[in-house]
Amino acid sequence: MPLVNFTTREITCKLVYYGPGRSGKTTNLLYIHGRVPQDRRGNLISLATQSDRTLFFDFLPLELGVISGFTTRFQLYTVPGQVYYNATRRLVLQGADGVVFVADSQARRFEDNLESFQNLQENLLEQGVDIRQLPLVLQYNKQDLPGDLILARPDLDDTLNFRAVPSLGADALHGAGVFETLKLVSSLVLQRLSTPSGSER
Amino acid sequence: MRSLEPWVEAPLTAFLTESGARLTLLMTGAGQVVAQHGFTRSLDVMSAAALGAGIMAATGELARVMTTVPFESVTHQGTALSLFLAGFDTPRGRWLALVVYGGETSLGLVQLFFGRMVEDLGRAAPAELPVQRVLAEDFEAQLNSSLRSLFGR
Repeated sequence: MPLVNFTTREITCKLVYYGPGRSGKTTNLLYIHGRVPQDRRGNLISLATQSDRTLFFDFLPLELGVISGFTTRFQLYTVPGQVYYNATRRLVLQGADGVVFVADSQARRFEDNLESFQNLQENLLEQGVDIRQLPLVLQYNKQDLPGDLILARPDLDDTLNFRAVPSLGADALHGAGVFETLKLVSSLVLQRLSTPSGSER
Repeated sequence: MRSLEPWVEAPLTAFLTESGARLTLLMTGAGQVVAQHGFTRSLDVMSAAALGAGIMAATGELARVMTTVPFESVTHQGTALSLFLAGFDTPRGRWLALVVYGGETSLGLVQLFFGRMVEDLGRAAPAELPVQRVLAEDFEAQLNSSLRSLFGR
């Protein structure tokens, strides 16, 4: 649940971008980092290997502005997508208020998407979190690639979106869908604070 | 100093005064800031918390792999500044502390007064506040406007 400071009237939310390796999680954060004015964001921290693959996590703090009288901040994290980095994925996922699952739309990555999504469910369950209770958005990235290489959104929905959560296509490299994804997930996360039983303190 | 709840401030102030630490950050295990002293920019605080929580999480995982009990603390000795990271239990759950100190004090003093702060926090914590609504039901219009301004749209 987002952290709420009633004294200074601040809300901090942790959002995690999850998905298979090379699906575009870091690209989402890079695009956001490049578009948001410097005084509204921190540095993009990237704990990566020498070949720029995420090793532990990427982290980008954002200051959204004032909502209902509360200064609202987002902490955006990515996890490493490679299968063998599951221990670090579990650590980054701890305390997530919302998750964006970034799927690779390429048909050849079909199994990787499924495996990563199952891994997300398992890791959440291990932390006592039911995926049905967590704000979740599916982003089908790389929809700009030629049609014969990718799966269409309805096909990806059939495979991954059996819980009928919000989903959208994206081309994170050029920014299409990045803003909309952040808007969707932040709205879902903050909705939990607009109900009487929404906050922890 | 800034803190999530006022009861944290007295124990933290006492720790800072007695230990001679320059910067201190208290956070949840997930890297959410609970209180801080010494950082000037809120966005830098969040980055420091994320990295500190990451170090502690990785160290805990190492302990698990080594089939030993989790390490209580981690220290990094620097030439000008040093770092002390530790996990501790509070009535509000497990928190982490990131303490930066210089040559005017020592690891021993930091550890000594850190232990006292943990005890003080345990005594100072009031009962949990009742759950209350935080945001107005029509918050989405403000959210959308903030996001549009953030992305220059």
